[in-house]
Amino acid sequence: MEKFREKFIEEANDLINELEKLLLDIEGNQDNPDLIQQIFRVMHSLKGGSSMFGFNKMDKFTHHLENIYDLIRNKKLKINEEILDITLASVDHLRNLVHEGEDADTQNQEQHDLLLSKILQLIDENVVIDETSPTIQETDSRDIEDEATYYISFKPHANIFKFGTNPLYLIDELCEIGPTKVFVRTDELPEFDTINNTECHLYWDIFLVTNLGINTIGEVFIFADEQCDLSIHKISDINLLEEESFLGIIDETIKNQKEIDINQLKQLTNDLEKVFVKAQEDQTKQTINFSTIDANISSIRVSSEKLDNLINWVSELVTIQARLSLFAQETETNGLTPISEEVEKISRRLRDDVFSIRLIPIENMITRFQRLVRELSQELNKDVVFKTEGTETELDKNIIEALADPLLHIIRNSLDHGIETTDERQINGKPKRATILLKAFYSGTNVIIQISDDGKGIDPEKIRNQAILKGIITSDSELNKKDTFDLLFQPGFSTTQKVTKVSGRGVGMDVVKRKIAEIRGEVDIDSEINEGTTITIRLPLTLSIIDGLLVQIGTTKFVIPLSSVYKCYEFKHETLANSINNLIRTDNQEIAYLNLRELFEIEGDAPETEHVVAVQFGDTRIGLSVDNIIGQYQAVLKPLGKLYKKQQTISGATILGDGTVALVMDSNKLINQFANNQIKVGG
Amino acid sequence: MGKKILIVDDSESIREVVSFTLENAGHEVLKGVDGEDALQYLDGSNLDLIITDLHMPNMDGIEFIKSVRKIDEYQFVPILFLTTESQTAKKMEAKDAGATGWIIKPFIPEKLLAAINKVVR
Amino acid sequence: MEKEEIETIETLDDVNTFLSFKLKDEYFATNVSKVLTILEMKPITKVPNSPTYMRGVINLRGNVLPVIDMRIKFGMPATEFTTATCIIVLNVEIEEENVQLGIIADAVDEVLEIKESEIEESPSIGTKYKNEFIQGMYKLKDGFIMLLNMNLIFNTDDLIITKEIEEAEAAQALKDE
Repeated sequence: MEKFREKFIEEANDLINELEKLLLDIEGNQDNPDLIQQIFRVMHSLKGGSSMFGFNKMDKFTHHLENIYDLIRNKKLKINEEILDITLASVDHLRNLVHEGEDADTQNQEQHDLLLSKILQLIDENVVIDETSPTIQETDSRDIEDEATYYISFKPHANIFKFGTNPLYLIDELCEIGPTKVFVRTDELPEFDTINNTECHLYWDIFLVTNLGINTIGEVFIFADEQCDLSIHKISDINLLEEESFLGIIDETIKNQKEIDINQLKQLTNDLEKVFVKAQEDQTKQTINFSTIDANISSIRVSSEKLDNLINWVSELVTIQARLSLFAQETETNGLTPISEEVEKISRRLRDDVFSIRLIPIENMITRFQRLVRELSQELNKDVVFKTEGTETELDKNIIEALADPLLHIIRNSLDHGIETTDERQINGKPKRATILLKAFYSGTNVIIQISDDGKGIDPEKIRNQAILKGIITSDSELNKKDTFDLLFQPGFSTTQKVTKVSGRGVGMDVVKRKIAEIRGEVDIDSEINEGTTITIRLPLTLSIIDGLLVQIGTTKFVIPLSSVYKCYEFKHETLANSINNLIRTDNQEIAYLNLRELFEIEGDAPETEHVVAVQFGDTRIGLSVDNIIGQYQAVLKPLGKLYKKQQTISGATILGDGTVALVMDSNKLINQFANNQIKVGG
Repeated sequence: MGKKILIVDDSESIREVVSFTLENAGHEVLKGVDGEDALQYLDGSNLDLIITDLHMPNMDGIEFIKSVRKIDEYQFVPILFLTTESQTAKKMEAKDAGATGWIIKPFIPEKLLAAINKVVR
Repeated sequence: MEKEEIETIETLDDVNTFLSFKLKDEYFATNVSKVLTILEMKPITKVPNSPTYMRGVINLRGNVLPVIDMRIKFGMPATEFTTATCIIVLNVEIEEENVQLGIIADAVDEVLEIKESEIEESPSIGTKYKNEFIQGMYKLKDGFIMLLNMNLIFNTDDLIITKEIEEAEAAQALKDE
């Protein structure tokens, strides 16, 4: 069972996470029967699994929780704040139980007992749970008694086959218990031509001798007890099957197709009958409403290593497919081109699917933020609601994990320092309830995550003063708003005088910035006094195979990510050279353009006809001039390596079909770096 | 004699325990993650036995049992369901839906094999 | 032989294998353990806005390999490539990471077995730096070879290297007179 235990621990963690999410969802949706059903199902799975794999404490714990939710789903109890609080606290405790195993340290044990008593209280105060144990004794132990003879009358109902029961198997099982004599009765068979072979019209009289007791015999029939008429009688304390006289009488009775007369049998013995009567189970048939099937997406776990391997293979496939395409173009063998095109199509689809496996919607990490807001706002006595937008936005799994801490910190800060108390808010004419909004969306080749609150904002003056005090800036330095806020990222910077338990002194923005820089992202702060603060995190998309536009300048080939490309234009070199302030006219609009040949210091002269690729840059478009546009290309991104660490404008390279290296541009960084230079300098 | 058995349960660890036990006993095991998923295994599979949990997403055990019974080929195949001690009402429902018998959770491998032995030979 | 015995024998006179190559008219050598392979010269893609000594990148078996012009790094004037020019692919350690890179050599010379005792210390007349990049000098009949410590060369600013090489050459020249 050991290795299964590991698996279960994984599963249990997933279930507990799911539970937590459901509990937070149900807060606003208390009457949703679907959610309750789902919660119940999760608890049930947890209980089932924990009992299977030796987590006894968890088993008992979830058993009671399950009961509460059973009551709730049967409408015998209504879910409320208290129940939710206790359940959420239980979620944490469950995590501990799973993690620490069954040996509890005292702290865990106390928590365990405390929660348990609270839960039991909830149950006691309400309806008694309908936990009827089945009265059919499903005993394990075979009672060893003295040998006795039993008569079993076994009459299956006509539809017994439809329950998958094979009466012969049952009889076989009986024969395993002891010596038997079995008589099949055929007198109830219908006429041959009306026989329905899916119905059972046979019945049996069986005599069995065993020392295992009447319960053992009853056990044989436990599955089928409602699909047959059954009676078991002990008819003697001795082995009648060894008595000639007995056998004789039985044989005769059967031969004459007479019913076996119990009384007659009894006459053969001196014992009192012990009738094993099937007890009626207490049947509280409740109609349980299983509402709509929930739209869970079934999933499987894949090891990260396997996934990385898969991604590597796909990358190599794309590379070699490029060579195939090139070869197909150059050799004019009939039939090769369509094949190579097909290969290209398929490998593109394969690439898209495989790469999207690593991408997970941000949704997944929202739960912990919700809990943080909920608990902190309670603790700080502030009224805050946490909203989200765009949580379906997907990010690479590694990035999501790296973001969790910084985001938690930002939200903590906001709750602690940004959001005011309800009184303060009222005085300022703001709604009592504050909002923290987490927004995620794509922008060009970036993902943007914004956290904004409608709190009291940050006062640039205060920051300025603090910075001067700390010697970070001199008193005569003039900083615009953005630069002032950037000061907050300096290590050791804090504007609060008091240390709060929650987020320390508000320091840590430098750590946040560093963590985000580690995943190649950027972070900015913006704020308006009394209106609120917004923190914006910009992250590059880290796909390692991108769709690009292959272009050429001089002898060097470049790839521009297709996602940034808006349109391509042809221009005469003269027109470009004569442009004023590097503005050119396209589609009835003027856009600025960058002379890449110049900026990249590429030798040689530009051709007579050049091309300008217009790329999206924030809200506007900027043109990039190149010699030629070769075409679309699936580029497997290869890093330039440590030596080019400082390189900003070129984000990587790719190996072309002919084996040469093309450089992949980061148009945003490129424009950022050069736009000011060139446009100032003027064409 | 090895039988062909389908286990349906949304808990991966349960599926693994069951298939491990059954495979060691010489049976062939197919696995389904819920009712809907499991139905695809029925076509032409000649299963000798189906074991299913009752509480699953997408299609629960009861629905699944009913669906199985509607298929001609599987009208008479033995179906065992996994249940916990306190679920008497569920048990009734499963039996009404056409189940042959049950296995009580938690179970040890021996119990699993004993239950199977009752319904397939 | 017993392991211990082997060790003892070796410490008496460590033999190291070096690959010597030419940069312009000077001879340099690197420990063979750092050399992965030697490639024929091929077109190098220059990465814009990078230092001059970083010639660019090439494709080595599906990976991108940066190529460095050592002559420029050592402050020598660049010369044209000849048929003998090649790229020596090295595996060096930079900031505790293994990095593959190529260096342009005007010619590859030979593989030499040099005993520890034969390595002379490079003279350090008038240099501020401790001559770290130069492991030592090895005398040949008509000149000397500068044995380079590749790890250190790539871990630091080129300015320092240029100076150091200049001074070592000057000092050696003095010695030879």
